Amino acid sequence: MFLFSDPVFGVWNWVDAIIRILIVVLTMTFVVIYLTYGERKVVARFQQRLGPTKTGRAGLLQGFADTIKLASKEDIRPTNADRWVFEFAPYLTFIPVLMVLVSLPFAKNWGVRDLSLGLFYVFAILGLNIVGILMAGLGSGNKYALLGGVRAAAQMISYEIPLVLSLLSVAMIAGTLNLNGIASLQSFTPENGQYAPFIFLQPLAFVIFFTAMLSELHRAPFDIPVAESEIVGGYFVEYSGMRWSMFQLTEYASMWAFSVFGSIVFLGGWAVPDTSDWWGPDWGWQLGITFIKSVVWIVAIMWVRTTVPRLRIDQLMSFCWKILLPMALLQLLMNGFILEYDWPPILLTLTSGAGAGALVAIIITRAIRRPKSKLVGTYKQVGVAAR
Amino acid sequence: MTVWPEERVTTIDSFNTVDMTINVGPQHPATHGVFRMVLTVDGEVVVDCEPYIGYLHRGLEKLTENHDYRQSMGWWDRTDYLAGLCCEGAYCMAVEKLAGLEVPERAEYIRVMLMELSRINSHFMFLGAFGADVGSFGTSFIYAWRERERIYDFFEEVSGDRMFPTYFRPGGLMSDLPGNYESRIRSLLGSINQGLEDLDGLLTGNEIFVERCKGLSPLSTERAINLGITGPILRATGLPWDLRKAEPYSVYDRLEFDIPIGESGDIFDRYFVRLSEIYQSTKIIEQCLEQMPKGLVLNPDLPKTLRIDNAECYLRTEGTKGEYSVYGMARGGVKPYRMKLRSPSFCNLSALKEMVVGNYLADAIIILGSLDIVLGEVDK
Amino acid sequence: MTQPAAAPQYPGISALIHKSVPKVPFTSTSTTTDADIQVAAEHLLELVQGLNQRRELAFDMLSNITGIDMGEDTLAVKYNFYSFKHNHRVQLTVTVPWANRHVPSLTSLYGAADWHEREAAEMVGLVFDGHPNPKALLLDDDVRIHPLLKSHPLQTVEILQGIEEGVPGFKF
Repeated sequence: MFLFSDPVFGVWNWVDAIIRILIVVLTMTFVVIYLTYGERKVVARFQQRLGPTKTGRAGLLQGFADTIKLASKEDIRPTNADRWVFEFAPYLTFIPVLMVLVSLPFAKNWGVRDLSLGLFYVFAILGLNIVGILMAGLGSGNKYALLGGVRAAAQMISYEIPLVLSLLSVAMIAGTLNLNGIASLQSFTPENGQYAPFIFLQPLAFVIFFTAMLSELHRAPFDIPVAESEIVGGYFVEYSGMRWSMFQLTEYASMWAFSVFGSIVFLGGWAVPDTSDWWGPDWGWQLGITFIKSVVWIVAIMWVRTTVPRLRIDQLMSFCWKILLPMALLQLLMNGFILEYDWPPILLTLTSGAGAGALVAIIITRAIRRPKSKLVGTYKQVGVAAR
Repeated sequence: MTVWPEERVTTIDSFNTVDMTINVGPQHPATHGVFRMVLTVDGEVVVDCEPYIGYLHRGLEKLTENHDYRQSMGWWDRTDYLAGLCCEGAYCMAVEKLAGLEVPERAEYIRVMLMELSRINSHFMFLGAFGADVGSFGTSFIYAWRERERIYDFFEEVSGDRMFPTYFRPGGLMSDLPGNYESRIRSLLGSINQGLEDLDGLLTGNEIFVERCKGLSPLSTERAINLGITGPILRATGLPWDLRKAEPYSVYDRLEFDIPIGESGDIFDRYFVRLSEIYQSTKIIEQCLEQMPKGLVLNPDLPKTLRIDNAECYLRTEGTKGEYSVYGMARGGVKPYRMKLRSPSFCNLSALKEMVVGNYLADAIIILGSLDIVLGEVDK
Repeated sequence: MTQPAAAPQYPGISALIHKSVPKVPFTSTSTTTDADIQVAAEHLLELVQGLNQRRELAFDMLSNITGIDMGEDTLAVKYNFYSFKHNHRVQLTVTVPWANRHVPSLTSLYGAADWHEREAAEMVGLVFDGHPNPKALLLDDDVRIHPLLKSHPLQTVEILQGIEEGVPGFKF
């Protein structure tokens, strides 16, 4: 198939790119529709409910019904909103996510474009997301939206750093920024003598990446910018109809993009740690493996969402700057030692695992202050001093 | 662009910040009804709070003055609508006090039992809604509602209605319990304990939840008393004061139970006191089942129409949110002259401003949640 | 020949209050649940200060304030106090004529008095002198009625909102 060959130069290059982008966009739309359905189903199961069951078999058409409903809703613009800023914000939020999808290899050597600086590109582009969010927050003329936008910006700025550092430590060990290269390092190709996914090599980097990713995605427990019970949706509180669904599309598309990206970097993407290559050339298998890994990733995100409450903004910040950032730097430092002195990789696993364990221990011991026993008393025992 | 109202300008090193006024409610997911507060925030920190109530004012007292003693029952159900039977109980006891009516012993036990079930119901609602306030995406809500559904099913079996049973009467009860009530209540208690364990594990066992609630907005006992705060919030400050023990009404003096208390009166203590109270309520219900006497459930000497001459009473009961008291005045005739409700939510809510100011906006929401207000009771 | 008026008998808590706050004149009766103390509006603050601050009384909680239209152009205010220390309670009654319906505010002593007084003020039209924030609480600011007055009908409520004074409002 020509889609799997290298693009030829000239006019075909463009045609090839457009066809690939169309495939990705259509897949994304489909995935997002079923992600909303999937999330509702998964969350419902966590909450002992059934979720959507009526539309289609087992509610399978629910996403389409919602899409049609949203598309036919009135698009309202508040009178005191800044017109252009308000109307363009959803698209500016969405475009970076689409641009990230361009660089992701869904199967071996198959993405829209195989960028040699893929990793760098991804986290450079994802940072642009915040422009649209801030525009939505400022342009809506609503104080909840303003708070949400500003919160999102503050959160983004903080969590970008541990995110990038954790990815950098992977890149250091991998020795490449090419996503395809990073994935194939975790596969059967014994090029660098490494077969394990990076999650086993650097658990600490994985934990930091997962945490920072939840924050970037505005998912619980870091859903402070969209906190439903405080600022009722945050930056998209004034949007309705199609523009609101653009935000929803962004949310789920970026969740998908992040899960594919994370599974490429840490779980090996389309590759499995296996030296046999009977499945290797088959792109169907590779797509399936990417799919399974990203589904695991997504379910983990939903699991966290249904279980934990929300952090406060200052707790969020102090967690980032006081715990995540030093841990990420430690990981980076350890990687440096390993590379400089050619220490065995098992040492990396051990130290990083110890770091991840320490991180979890910090979280648990700092917070668990559950009363040892139930305090009870009777009224006659205590008198109140009269004033 | 919008121009924010300039109310307070802070200058830090020639950097001006303007306070922002945020309207929370009456339609807002965190206000548990139609409560409205106007918060003035400096960035994320609340510097002023102005509560507005009255969106659910239905003129309870005026209606009670203009209806027969027994006609008003339905209105009183709808004050604390999460625990309708507790309100009914207080109203009926006030009328009985005014009229000097006796209540058969069996009716007293059934009343206490159902009132405690209502208390469990209301506390479950608190646990669920509070979890949602802190941000646990409705999981706690659904867990709590599972148990509430079972309690409501039982109420429906007993009285025909779920939230507003109108089951008590001045002088007793509408009718006796259904025949299988004992096994029904025992299985209900089993599932309540199970559901409570689930909720306990979900919320108390969660680091983020504890981190959010511990040490937030502590309250001293003296200040709480001065502000008129009662109920679980007062007990969370460390004072084991419960009207069921301090001024026992009905048959509470024959029942063994403990008063859960907190240490510092912070949000976590308020939460944990309510959680522990559910266990105590289940203990009370079990004792009621054991001690339940046989006999009538309605005073046989009850006149067809209650006429009460000059009488006055101030009847205090321990509602689910605190001291639920009824001031009653009769001056002859078939209608009360004045019935005033002293609702715990109303008094607890009046302390909101003091608790909220100086905290983060996100904390203001969970402080409001920890007060466990019911707007039907606040607005009467 | 007229008998001299018998010295008032104060049972229970009323006697204690009489002993502790001897300067304040009051009369005492009892209701079905409480001792009821009738005191004049000008002596209210003094008496309540005594109730609050005397160690043997220690009424540290203001439980309730009820405004009542007693008919014949008089209003009554009932205060219910409770002591956590001694677990006892008392009820104060202040009766004022409609023409001079001023009662001193207790907000300086009890934080709980704030909303109770605002509610009583709007429901029966009492005026609490010295209240820091005498705004309407449960009703709309525009509603210039006192619904719990006996003269106010139950079933016909005039909406005075947004309508000038003197113009009859909508009826429902």
